[in-house]
Amino acid sequence: MLNSYFARAFAWLKTAGGITVATAAVLLVAGTIDRGPYILVNTVVTGGMLGLVAMGLAVILGVLNIAQFAHGEYFMIGGLSAYYVIRPLHAYLDAHPSAFLAMVAPFIAMITATLVGGLAGAVTERVCFNPLRKRSRANWVMNSFLLTVGISVVLVNGDQLLFGTDFKGITHYWPGVVSIAGVFMSVDRVMTFILSLVIVTGFWIFMKYSRTGQAIRAVAQDEMGALMVGINLEWIMVLTMSIGCAMAAVAGASLLFMYPSYPTVGLEPLYMAWFVVILVGLGNVMGALIGGFMVSLLKVLTLEYIGAGWEFVVPSVIIILVLIFKPSGVFGSEVRSVLDQ
Amino acid sequence: MLLEINNLNAGYGFLQILRDVSLKIKKAEYVCLIGPNGAGKSTTLKTIAGIIKPMSGQIVFEGKDISGWPGNRVTRLGISFISEEMNLFTNMTVHENMMMGAYTIKDKNTKNRLLEFAYGLFPRLQERSNQLAGTLSGGERKMLGIGRALMADPKLLLVDEPSFGLAPQLTDQVFSSLDTLRQEGKTILVVEQNVTKTLSVTDRGYVLENGRIELKGPSAELADNAHVRKVFLGV
Repeated sequence: MLNSYFARAFAWLKTAGGITVATAAVLLVAGTIDRGPYILVNTVVTGGMLGLVAMGLAVILGVLNIAQFAHGEYFMIGGLSAYYVIRPLHAYLDAHPSAFLAMVAPFIAMITATLVGGLAGAVTERVCFNPLRKRSRANWVMNSFLLTVGISVVLVNGDQLLFGTDFKGITHYWPGVVSIAGVFMSVDRVMTFILSLVIVTGFWIFMKYSRTGQAIRAVAQDEMGALMVGINLEWIMVLTMSIGCAMAAVAGASLLFMYPSYPTVGLEPLYMAWFVVILVGLGNVMGALIGGFMVSLLKVLTLEYIGAGWEFVVPSVIIILVLIFKPSGVFGSEVRSVLDQ
Repeated sequence: MLLEINNLNAGYGFLQILRDVSLKIKKAEYVCLIGPNGAGKSTTLKTIAGIIKPMSGQIVFEGKDISGWPGNRVTRLGISFISEEMNLFTNMTVHENMMMGAYTIKDKNTKNRLLEFAYGLFPRLQERSNQLAGTLSGGERKMLGIGRALMADPKLLLVDEPSFGLAPQLTDQVFSSLDTLRQEGKTILVVEQNVTKTLSVTDRGYVLENGRIELKGPSAELADNAHVRKVFLGV
């Protein structure tokens, strides 16, 4: 029994996905030993949130067949909403100190951001994609992609028009630092990582065990089959778009202390998330989480060993190599089956 | 009358396929729709199932006009459609596919009863319940398609080409399972290319040619009809 388990694990290690994950793990350990634990810490903190943005992208791609290029704008919407909630709360806290409110205030900001992002996603689906879908399904991937580019332009310029081009950032959500394994880290970074794990776990349980989550998977696998068993396609599409955008928004909100909100803040997470999605295979939702950590590691190592300014170049080169040699992504179907088995 | 279709016109985009199709199905009847390729047989079933919106005409199910309803509401009402290509969820197990079939049913006991019935009809599915649907053989996929449709506890089953892509022996198996369902009191509308076989098992039949109903009557009479014999049976 245990033997066959090892045999299967060993067989998996020899696949493209296994090699990639193993190489990443070795690099991570080597980098950590060479330069210190902050390599590990930085990878893990940004990787969790990048994974979240990429998962939202993957789920929209897998279920709605939309190549979402406005995903960064929902990241921006999340950061912006959180900013306008946390600023007054922090000002209030300065005047009336309260340990409890200081603890929960960031959560209020993040939950608001999630709700706003989810609502924005639902509105986008109803106002933009649903009419297009009703009109014609021909050339859907191209048309919906162009639509997302348009949405991105509208949202970026809308933000600029309404809120201005200044950087709207905060220094911290929770004050203070903690020391883990000899590395001093702000509480914010630790909380961000924990938050991403909680959300991902919750999302996985939702997709695997809830009736609605299974319906989403069914739509992803066969739209007509889903209609035939009585699933309301329109509702599932609104919900999926909403969940995907909410994931980007919560990432934008919880990273506000690192990425101050301004109109084009979403560009970097958008590119990074696309790197992840191409790396692991289009529409591979659980793979996107692992890919998030790998791309984030790549970025951290590039910054450390090659220098600032290269952090987009190295991942791009790797993506080009992946597209040439393994266009279905390094995981092919193996990791997808984590969710879909 | 369980299902009544009056002057139905339907098609894809600007291309009209069905022209003034009318048909009637009583409860517990076993009816077939036969015709040459491209006559509009599958289009008829898809329009009833709510996958294609009709251009005009009426589809009345149990006294309710359901023309133009989306597929999920039609399924909820008690019409299950089994398409030619099955549209299974290939990355889910057989069991998960069956449970998705019961998506419209909330009551646990009803679900278990339906599952027991479907597995009783196709013991093969129970043996394979933990296998991914994408790895099943053609015959097993057909069984799963029918089984999944039965999980919605339908009053009317619309079956598109049950023999499509199957060896003759498997075709017989699928037809005998439809026979069993019929004895259980299900109403079935089947579309088939295998005219001899279909006319020998069904009660009544409609002949569709170029989107119009050309002939109708008891299956035995249709099998003897000179036109049918000439066009479909080649004798």
